[in-house]
Amino acid sequence: MTTTIQEQENQLVAIMEGRLDTAAAQQAQKDLEPLKACNGRDIVLDCAGLDYIASSGLRIFLNLLQVAKSQGSQVIIQGANDYLRQVFNMTGFSHLFVIK
Amino acid sequence: MDLQCSITLKNDLKEIENLVDIVNAACEVAKFDELTTDQMNLVLEEAVVNVINYGYPEGTEGDIVVDVEVGDGCLTFTVSDHGVAFDPTKHGDVDTTLPAEQRKIGGLGIFLMKSTMDDLSYERKDGQNILKLKKFYKH
Repeated sequence: MTTTIQEQENQLVAIMEGRLDTAAAQQAQKDLEPLKACNGRDIVLDCAGLDYIASSGLRIFLNLLQVAKSQGSQVIIQGANDYLRQVFNMTGFSHLFVIK
Repeated sequence: MDLQCSITLKNDLKEIENLVDIVNAACEVAKFDELTTDQMNLVLEEAVVNVINYGYPEGTEGDIVVDVEVGDGCLTFTVSDHGVAFDPTKHGDVDTTLPAEQRKIGGLGIFLMKSTMDDLSYERKDGQNILKLKKFYKH
């Protein structure tokens, strides 16, 4: 899978593509690390190209959210497919993140 | 049985990708839609990753045997290993209503397995962990 980060005016956008399985999680965690310096800017996780996620990926998202919230930033998940949405619903993540 | 197959994996995360083809083939036989197929991939990955991460002492090589059966209205994954005794059915209670700051990082994999499958059963037999995961279907 690939993760690309774009710094925009008031937000940081991470474009995630492929399968975020447990084997890919370690690299994804490294790639998303710069987002933790959000400093009040909102974070957008663009998941339109993300086909799949396992619990290791959910843990990365949750950790990122906890760090972001402590800096007053929101984490917005956008473009999630039906599978991702269902996983977010089952785990209560749909209440924690802004899902668009 | 409409489909029966078995694969033996090493306790290495790189092995996970080898499960996808088998799960997809089984789901095709069971006539599962795309969403359910993704969920079955998730469940088997979580079950196997638990063994890879915690089953064998760090630096020790160990096998994980995955059997997949489809037939009589049921898809069954059986995951067997010779690692330390661990019963996932006794874990994975997650409070999904907690706010973000209080949510714990662990336990989600087993929680997702339990929430997705219709039946989970575990036994420790002849020094092996044997975990059975069942999803029923009507066609």
